[in-house]
Amino acid sequence: MSVTIHIPVMLRHECGGHSKLSVSATSIRHALEELAKGHPAVYRSVCNETGVVRRHVHLFINSSLVTDDGLDTKLKPNDELFIMPAVSGG
Amino acid sequence: MAERLVLCIGTKKGLFIAEAAKTRRRFELRGPFGPGVPVYSSLIDTRGTPRIFASSCNPFFGMKIMVSTDLGKNFKETKSAPAFPKSDGRALENIWSIEPGKGKRELLCGVEPASLFRSGDGGNSWEMVPGISNHEHAQHWQPGNGGLCMHTIVRDGNRVHLGISTGGHYLSEDGGATFDAANNGVGAGFFPDPNPEFGQCVHKIATHPDVPGRLYMQNHGGWPERPGIGVLRSDDHGHSWHSIADGLPSDFGFPIVVHPHDPDTIYVVPLDPSTRTCPDSKPAVWRSQNGGGKWKRLANGFPKRDSYFTVLRDAMTIDSLKSPALYFGTTTGRLWIGRDGGEEWTCLFDSLPPINCVKVAVV
Repeated sequence: MSVTIHIPVMLRHECGGHSKLSVSATSIRHALEELAKGHPAVYRSVCNETGVVRRHVHLFINSSLVTDDGLDTKLKPNDELFIMPAVSGG
Repeated sequence: MAERLVLCIGTKKGLFIAEAAKTRRRFELRGPFGPGVPVYSSLIDTRGTPRIFASSCNPFFGMKIMVSTDLGKNFKETKSAPAFPKSDGRALENIWSIEPGKGKRELLCGVEPASLFRSGDGGNSWEMVPGISNHEHAQHWQPGNGGLCMHTIVRDGNRVHLGISTGGHYLSEDGGATFDAANNGVGAGFFPDPNPEFGQCVHKIATHPDVPGRLYMQNHGGWPERPGIGVLRSDDHGHSWHSIADGLPSDFGFPIVVHPHDPDTIYVVPLDPSTRTCPDSKPAVWRSQNGGGKWKRLANGFPKRDSYFTVLRDAMTIDSLKSPALYFGTTTGRLWIGRDGGEEWTCLFDSLPPINCVKVAVV
């Protein structure tokens, strides 16, 4: 099914300026794998070389934070995946 | 075009370039490049058309290497940055050193966790150097305050010297294929054994091309019960080391720099080991003109009191003009120039972000 990935401003230069990307995926992990295929520079900014989501990057499905053990969560039609920088500062 | 002096200033908030005529009267500043992102290492590569490389270490989105082919007017990212093979299990945390390799396009890169990468195409692709990155000691190295970093790469023909904090000094004599710990005489204040085979917290290693067998090291000193282990010298290509700290106010510090025209002249910035700032709040660079036998305090132009900055391991350098000038950046964002080999100091820029590294070249 088609899933929309929202790209933060600071990563849009890695994907031709697009604010949203569309991938076909059944889980969050699958969506990241598709991102790696189509936009490897964006993927490398989100996940390190071991495939782990970077410490200061948060993923949300719709408005729910995805935890480290939630990458295999199944996606539903029209789900939206948000890539967000984690809060930094105080 | 007349020769120019180019300074690369890597800060907590990006890279700045300062440029001046050889008179060094006025430096023009530009940047920041990679704004907001820490830069821990840079290289002004003068082999052929000058290129400037700098690491851009984004704590959010990972590591990049920036390159400029117009003396730092514009930067772009190289096609890739060093990365561990997926099967390795380690992930790149930081880029601590970029140095020229053997060939014109070859670069070497020291990273955190302590490993060495090599590029044969000017930084567009990278491969891990297994001889040190997969060394049997690697699993025993521990991170220091700055992380587990490979911060120093010194090439001398087929020899490669590496400084790792905390891993110690490693030496290859076969062009980087294999490495051995070479820490005979390099002490540690944080192990029960004062002279372990490896695991020392080396801060910086410097050498001079005319006397490659001689090396100088700023090691992690400042241990009251183990005095003198902080500033060291080797005369046998790093196989053994001895103290040259006698006469310094502290043997703790980060950078160590060799005069470009005199291998006997070296510079250090002693710091109070507990605060890691200027001893008694009075900044000074110390110079030896006989290879560490005697030291002289250089402080003309510095504040006389109330200074509490740190000079980090890569934040001091020296240019190669006839009467060289030293440059150092502080964690309080000031960039100092020490004209006439450090005899007279002036602040060039006083409100930069905290400075991690400073490099200079005549181009």
